[in-house]
Amino acid sequence: MLRITLLLLVAHAALAQVSNQDLLNPPPENWLTYGGTYDSQRHTKLDQITPGNVKNLQAAWIFPITSTNRLQTVPLVVDGVMYVSAPNEVYALDARSGREIWQYRRANGVNRGPNRGVAVFGNLVYVGTPDAYLVALDARTGAVAWETQIAKAGDGYFSPGAPFVADGKVIAGVGGGDNGLNGWLDAYDAETGKLIWRWYTIPRPGEPGNETWAGDSWKTGGGGTWLSGSYDPQLGLIYWGLGNPAPDFDGDVRLGDNLYTESVVALELSTGKLKWHFQFTPHDAHDWDSVEIPILVDAPFGGRQRKLMAHADRNGFYYVLDRETGEFLHGTPFIDQLNWATGLTPEGRPIRVPGVEPTLTGNFVCPSTSGATNWMSPAYNPVTGLFYLAAKEGCGVSYKGRQEFRPGGFDFKATGYIESPEEPWQMYVRALDLTTGERKWEYMQVNAKNYGAGLISTASGLIFGGDDQGTFAALDAVSGKPLWHFDANYRISASPISYAVNGRQYVAVAAGVNIIAFRLPDAD
Amino acid sequence: MLGKGLSSQVGSPRIRYGDPIVLYDFVVMKACLWALLFALPLAAQHGRYTSESTNPAIGDPAAIAAGGKLYQRSCAGCHGPDGSGGRGPNLVQRRNWHPLTDEGIFSTVRNGLPGADMPPTNLSDDETWQLVAFIHALIGPAAENPAAGDAAAGEAVFWGSKAGCSNCHAIRGKGGKIGPDLTDIGGLRPLAVIKKAVVQPSDELYYLGNESVTAKLKNGETVRGVAKNRDVYSIQIIDRGGKLHLLAMNDIAELEILQRSPMPGDYAERLSAGELENLLAFLARQTLRPAGPEAK
Repeated sequence: MLRITLLLLVAHAALAQVSNQDLLNPPPENWLTYGGTYDSQRHTKLDQITPGNVKNLQAAWIFPITSTNRLQTVPLVVDGVMYVSAPNEVYALDARSGREIWQYRRANGVNRGPNRGVAVFGNLVYVGTPDAYLVALDARTGAVAWETQIAKAGDGYFSPGAPFVADGKVIAGVGGGDNGLNGWLDAYDAETGKLIWRWYTIPRPGEPGNETWAGDSWKTGGGGTWLSGSYDPQLGLIYWGLGNPAPDFDGDVRLGDNLYTESVVALELSTGKLKWHFQFTPHDAHDWDSVEIPILVDAPFGGRQRKLMAHADRNGFYYVLDRETGEFLHGTPFIDQLNWATGLTPEGRPIRVPGVEPTLTGNFVCPSTSGATNWMSPAYNPVTGLFYLAAKEGCGVSYKGRQEFRPGGFDFKATGYIESPEEPWQMYVRALDLTTGERKWEYMQVNAKNYGAGLISTASGLIFGGDDQGTFAALDAVSGKPLWHFDANYRISASPISYAVNGRQYVAVAAGVNIIAFRLPDAD
Repeated sequence: MLGKGLSSQVGSPRIRYGDPIVLYDFVVMKACLWALLFALPLAAQHGRYTSESTNPAIGDPAAIAAGGKLYQRSCAGCHGPDGSGGRGPNLVQRRNWHPLTDEGIFSTVRNGLPGADMPPTNLSDDETWQLVAFIHALIGPAAENPAAGDAAAGEAVFWGSKAGCSNCHAIRGKGGKIGPDLTDIGGLRPLAVIKKAVVQPSDELYYLGNESVTAKLKNGETVRGVAKNRDVYSIQIIDRGGKLHLLAMNDIAELEILQRSPMPGDYAERLSAGELENLLAFLARQTLRPAGPEAK
């Protein structure tokens, strides 16, 4: 009898697994990947919370994680269990109440970078760590199933991005580009943690693209892989945005285009081979990482249905690419204050304005290094056809120095930047036409000037997003009109999600030290 | 700049910007916000020292004076006679992203910045430390450095009616509440920065919650004062009487925001050169930290 019970328990647990099918077509009540779905549209099919009733939305629960005050985790939800993370920590929570089920803490003495979330597959939860490991935890208990070293922490690497699971592989990347550490993307066997392939973001001698680095500058070229990606299962391609070249602010010592920094790359999931790349900012000296999540949409363009990729870059331009070929289709600024380029060539290359590079005494540039947008995820609503994003107006003053590379994870930015006193920063949520990039509406986040939150879109026609003042708001997806807000009063710089348990829809977001979940009031 | 048709905020008050008076729809005021929005955190603004050297030159008036001579000879050409920059960076208004140490300055003076036009020097160790002591005095908190002027006379200026500082600013609990509290101003800022804030208050604003506003409420009342905070949905105003008004944006018919500091901009003319110097000496002495060796 005991044996039968055990077998039943095992069978039940097996049902809770996240399958390949689930990841390809997630049930609306679950939020299974960083971008919600492989196309990273962050558009939930849940429609219980509507423009009509959102005014009644209220906080259901709060879960504090006090080890950091700038949570950037994007929660995942699997069948009523929420997984959230902080550097060196993962928690499983009852998604209805926030009550803790288990926690994982990694005692490694290293605390480098933020943590942007976990991945789930089968019975495992995957997390990157500040000491550059990929750790697989049992989703039911938090016990370590395996761990594998992505990079040497002693070299200064860390792994802040959310791992990405597709077709039995866990894709994981590294941070450290600002320290002159070259990046790569790894694919690991999801069951065993065995390395399947590795793709280097900076081509080595003999590889195409190495000629875009003067002399030996490729050796400390950066190109981090510190966020997450998107995936087209039909094409078998994953898409990943890459970080800045190093030294960040001194381009003189690395003449050339500096491939593949600040590019989006399409890699064959099965082999890790580069299918195509598109570089947004060749030879950048303003630290404009291109890690921003690419959104995949199938839509008409130029009179025929195409497989598109939409990407809003930290450099201030919105791009539409053909994601089969990497062909540049369209690009236009999504901010008004942009002084470094007058436009894009037919190939999508920026037409540079000379004289905006960082200098010893500081040079004025718009957008600033903090970027026209950043890691906060955009969203797309297929009904409105609008691309929604956190956009920042304002300028910066960038300084250049000369710095020697020092191995071991030391700053290799060759100085930095400040906010321009004349053109200070201001955050917006903006809605762009998918194919033209034309601005349809904007919502100014008064008093918010830094980063700001990512967004979600709902099938009922809402956009949720926050800001660095801690205001979390619901906007009408068509008009941008604010319909509801909650004063979390602590910086929100993570992207929200939506899920459902027992037929009730929730919206959740990380705000400073808290995970906060919202739902409509109990029916009387 | 967007047209009105794209505005997403509705049911919000009209916002009017004084100086110059222009009417804007709520959503299109981005370019005018600089009076509200503030730069990097205060501590990062002026390169507070993360560690201070125990070298005896630091804070020694004789070493500082000797370093000053060296500075004028070797550094002023690029960094300006008062450290305000030129071909080289401004040393006082640094707003720097690097933590500052005396040893770091020593090393930069000694070795220069290769490739960045800053040459190495061949000064002796003692001379280099004198130079570091001068730079420390130039860019460190005012309270730690000797200041010209008569602080006692400056105290009278501060509390007197000619300057009227205490109408808005408080020191150790006494004075107005509408402006920033100055109890620790000398412990926080270099003298040059305090001086600039006194004579050019609208040039750069560092404090959050410094916005001069007039709110006309839908119920007919008018509230004038400084907005301590403001977002899309609410505003918190302290008036000249020190009373706090917690208002919802929906209750406001029109909000006027002054595009400059509420502080008068005429202190360079209103006060004599001597009065200004004395006032600065007094402000430089306002600190909550124990007095440094220089202050003895």
